Amino acid sequence: MLAPSIDRPSSMTAQPALLAVRDLTVDYGGVRAVGGITLHVGRGEIVGLIGPNGAGKSSALNAISGDVPASGGTVVLNGRDVTRLAAYRRSRLGLGRTFQTAKVFEGLTVYEGLVTAVRGASGASLWQTIIGRGRRLEEEQAGERAWRMLDQAGLDHIADLFGRELSGGQRRFVDLTLALIKEPQMLVLDEPMVGVAPSLVPRLLNQLRSVAAQGTGILIVEHALEVVAALCDRVVVMAAGQVIAQGTYDEIAADTEVRRAYLS
Amino acid sequence: MSAFVSISLVYLAIYTLSAWSLNLQYGYAGIINFGWIVFQSIGAYVAATTALGSPTSGGFQTYIFGARLGFPLPLIMGTLAGAALALLLGLIILTRRIRPDFQAIIMLVVAIIAAEVVSTNTALFNGANGLSNVPQPFNGVMHLSYNNYQWFFVAFSFALCIIVYFGLEWICRSSWGRALRAMREDDILASHVGINVQALRIVVFVIGGAIAGFSGALLVEFLGTWSPDAWSFVESFVVFVSVYVGGRANNRGAIIGAFLVPVVFGTMPSFLPEFGYPGLSANLEWLVIAALWLTTFYLRPAGILPEGRFIARRTRAREQAPVMPPIAKQGSVA
Amino acid sequence: MNLYIEAIGFGVIAASSIALGAMGFTLQFGLTNVLNVGYGATMSFGAIVAYAAHLTGMSIWLALICGGIATSGLTLLSAKTLLRVYAKRGAALFEMAMVTFGIALIVEYAIASITENNTFSLTIAIEHTHALGPIRFTDVQLALVILAVVVFILLDGFLRLTKVGTALRATAVDPDLARASGIATGRIVTIAWLLSGFLCGLAGGVFTIDILTVNAFTGDSLLSLVIVAALMGTAGSVRGAALAALLLGIATQLVSAAGASGYASAVAYGVLAVVLLARPKSVQGGLVADRVQITV
Repeated sequence: MLAPSIDRPSSMTAQPALLAVRDLTVDYGGVRAVGGITLHVGRGEIVGLIGPNGAGKSSALNAISGDVPASGGTVVLNGRDVTRLAAYRRSRLGLGRTFQTAKVFEGLTVYEGLVTAVRGASGASLWQTIIGRGRRLEEEQAGERAWRMLDQAGLDHIADLFGRELSGGQRRFVDLTLALIKEPQMLVLDEPMVGVAPSLVPRLLNQLRSVAAQGTGILIVEHALEVVAALCDRVVVMAAGQVIAQGTYDEIAADTEVRRAYLS
Repeated sequence: MSAFVSISLVYLAIYTLSAWSLNLQYGYAGIINFGWIVFQSIGAYVAATTALGSPTSGGFQTYIFGARLGFPLPLIMGTLAGAALALLLGLIILTRRIRPDFQAIIMLVVAIIAAEVVSTNTALFNGANGLSNVPQPFNGVMHLSYNNYQWFFVAFSFALCIIVYFGLEWICRSSWGRALRAMREDDILASHVGINVQALRIVVFVIGGAIAGFSGALLVEFLGTWSPDAWSFVESFVVFVSVYVGGRANNRGAIIGAFLVPVVFGTMPSFLPEFGYPGLSANLEWLVIAALWLTTFYLRPAGILPEGRFIARRTRAREQAPVMPPIAKQGSVA
Repeated sequence: MNLYIEAIGFGVIAASSIALGAMGFTLQFGLTNVLNVGYGATMSFGAIVAYAAHLTGMSIWLALICGGIATSGLTLLSAKTLLRVYAKRGAALFEMAMVTFGIALIVEYAIASITENNTFSLTIAIEHTHALGPIRFTDVQLALVILAVVVFILLDGFLRLTKVGTALRATAVDPDLARASGIATGRIVTIAWLLSGFLCGLAGGVFTIDILTVNAFTGDSLLSLVIVAALMGTAGSVRGAALAALLLGIATQLVSAAGASGYASAVAYGVLAVVLLARPKSVQGGLVADRVQITV
């Protein structure tokens, strides 16, 4: 059951994909937003998910991350069927995600939010909090990690700001860092470039490349095609809830069906 | 005069426990328990029936199960009853994702149904007349005068409050308390950092329910009576107002809120000489509490003692690291 | 058996005040997203005004209209002053409900203070009774039911056939889209508050004529059923509210007829709790709740 069967291009190695989505469907009260899509993301691979508005990209993403229930099909993460698992279970299994409108903890400071993200499940268990040995040590390590992430971005001055006090670009950074700080194996990004100052885009692209270089798979929904062209190893095109094409960016750009979907 | 002060202080202790309970559920975890009073009430009823002894046939009051347990047991039973009810309702209601104002309505509905069932069904807790003659702890053995016993109860309830306060502060300031606040701010984001939001919600609801049940048990041991009149659903509103006035997610603020709202404006006026027609002062009390709520929420929406800002400190190892850029600390920005 | 058929008759009469209230509640709630817990207090206000007007010698039906108009004014006033102030400060959904609760306490206890906590009783001469099979209606009861039906037909027609009504429905579904397509949503919301207040006052008055007593808290005993009916019928749907009110009216009377009158409203609440828990679509939180806007 758990052995993933994936249609993979012959050029790829026999290694199983990190994320394998098969025949995934999503319905909202009778409206079919996603009509049976199949895609996969390998370790260290950056896959772009593009398509016109209303193509079902965000719905597919939400079903992969566990925010909306899938009405059919399977989502396999790292060889494990997670289709019926709640979002927090998928997070613990190494899935991180960001949101179209960047989400941060509005009433927590940035530092607190990041430390919470490191501690995750163990920090949220009352029992472990009460009896946990080395509790202080874990807190210190989590704090170290939070400072390191902030330092790397040169943003240590926002550590004590409440989420609601952040600028748009800072919110993007914190949203992404909340997903990255637990070193996820699979990262799902929903339009991460919206609201980021153009001058900072190359830096963000570099960061994502280095994350992927460490073996993390990335699935990214993005409207800006130049970003997709610069970043993605492979592109999946959706229209009207279906996958209409897959391939490298150049292959996709030459595809007549894709052009028709974007023009109509 | 002494009685006035001692009774007010006991009320302060009990309303402080109430505010802490709701503050944990709402201030920290964001659960809108608009039926909070039901949890206090079940604690009071269970403590009463486990202290009263088995109901005598032909006695003036009827109730279920009845036992005559010695001192700390009725308090413990009341606490457990509050926790058990919270577990039951939490499993039914909090496992679903419901719009916050609708969640409030459902909890309100629970409170109204409970009041109606208890008032109508005399076999449960003696119906609308309620229970009375609940024995006071130690009063049989200590042979204190009325006044001295009141002061003894003040000390007793304050001691219990101090224990609860330190327990609450400890868990609220731990990583668990931080997870609660993360869940309150955004449950979807919280689940994506690995927090099992549903389980956390139920756990905190149960702890809050236990404190509510405990406050009810303590109250009934002091008053000796408990009836549906004492727990109309409006009482939950009063506790919410104390949490808002004192400051959400701030346990010291909750003390101030409990002092200002139910004690100064709710309890003390009953010691004033009666004026006007009967019931006028009670009407004015409610007018003042409502006005107090609307003005504080306007002038100080975060309460008298708002939730503080956590200032992060680097551990010593990091501070000594030579590569560190200077730390620009932000004082208060809001 | 006859007992139960009679109960259905009583249920229809009880439904007339529930339906009037629920239609007003759902209209306002669907449009503004403010859960108006103060609705019960304003129903009491409408009932008291109608009673006072009747005392001055006005016919009870005219007094009813007076109550409606006065309540309409009070509702608009509190919406445009207090509620607007808090909505502008970014109060959350639940906090708005708390604000309406505060307003409710002020209205109710102000009335109680002025009326010195008295309960007034109303006497209306009954001239005829009509038999509908085993169900007997008095003149007055028949008139109340007809009034509710007429108001329902007028309101439904207004919403479906007039331009303002269409704008109202459009604003309830998507305020941003409505504004973008040139609807003056501010004015539409004002109309909704006025209409809702009028129906609220009417409901309070009709309830008083039905039970023949009135005090500062009369509306509270009706509030529960009104909210249940409005939420059961889906927020914003006048037809749903009316139908749910009819069902609730009959259901509560049947429970009373079965000898469990103490549980009549517990049953109604139970129905609501089940509806809210079982039908998460309309009440969903999370991703959906983020998009709920308060417009006052």
